[in-house]
Amino acid sequence: MKNTIKVINELKQKGLIKDYAIGGAIAALRWVEPFFTRDLDIFIILPKKLKEKKLIILSPIYEYLKKKGYLWKEQWIIIEGIPVDLFPADELEKEAVENAKEIEYQGEKTKIIAPEYLIALFLRTNRDKDERKIKMLLEQAQINMEKLTKILNKHGLTEKFVKYKEKYYGR
Amino acid sequence: MGDSHSQKIIIGNKIITREEVFEKKERFRKEQAKLSFEAKIETLVSLQEIAYSWGEKKDVIVWKL
Repeated sequence: MKNTIKVINELKQKGLIKDYAIGGAIAALRWVEPFFTRDLDIFIILPKKLKEKKLIILSPIYEYLKKKGYLWKEQWIIIEGIPVDLFPADELEKEAVENAKEIEYQGEKTKIIAPEYLIALFLRTNRDKDERKIKMLLEQAQINMEKLTKILNKHGLTEKFVKYKEKYYGR
Repeated sequence: MGDSHSQKIIIGNKIITREEVFEKKERFRKEQAKLSFEAKIETLVSLQEIAYSWGEKKDVIVWKL
């Protein structure tokens, strides 16, 4: 895991990505009890030159990783023994990356998406497993409700959250 | 459901109710949430090993730490 983070940090140092943060289940796991997951989701902000003409060009990143000997398996690229999904950040994800919390994993610096943004992102995808993660975050993490409300309002997710609360908490 | 929750369970010289068992489980989950990120990743790898061997999920990649 430490070496995987090192490689992703290299992408940033080499200017192939502008910034990144760990998202998905592994980010949730930072804030709640441990649970099973298969892969590491990384949300990346690309440098301007890689997102011209409404096209997202990931080729330089994948070429770099390929040269280092990392191979694809299904939808993942296996970096230092860990299946990684790289997601170019959209508007909400970009904001989540910019507001992510800096942490260290075995001395290696990285960023993890904050629980309030994770709730918003899980609400948006809204699969059963995402709903379970929202429940864990609400019950086990320290959520800044004011911050969460602002994020949900800004990204049009308030109604979804109301429905979620009705479903799980009857209010 | 209410009856089974208050049903008493005797373990050695301890008497507890199902409700108390669930409360303890919930406390344990909240304590687990306070573990370091590193410790949680170690637990995740153990879960992946279990899924791979016991759960027969041969498509699970057990992470390298």
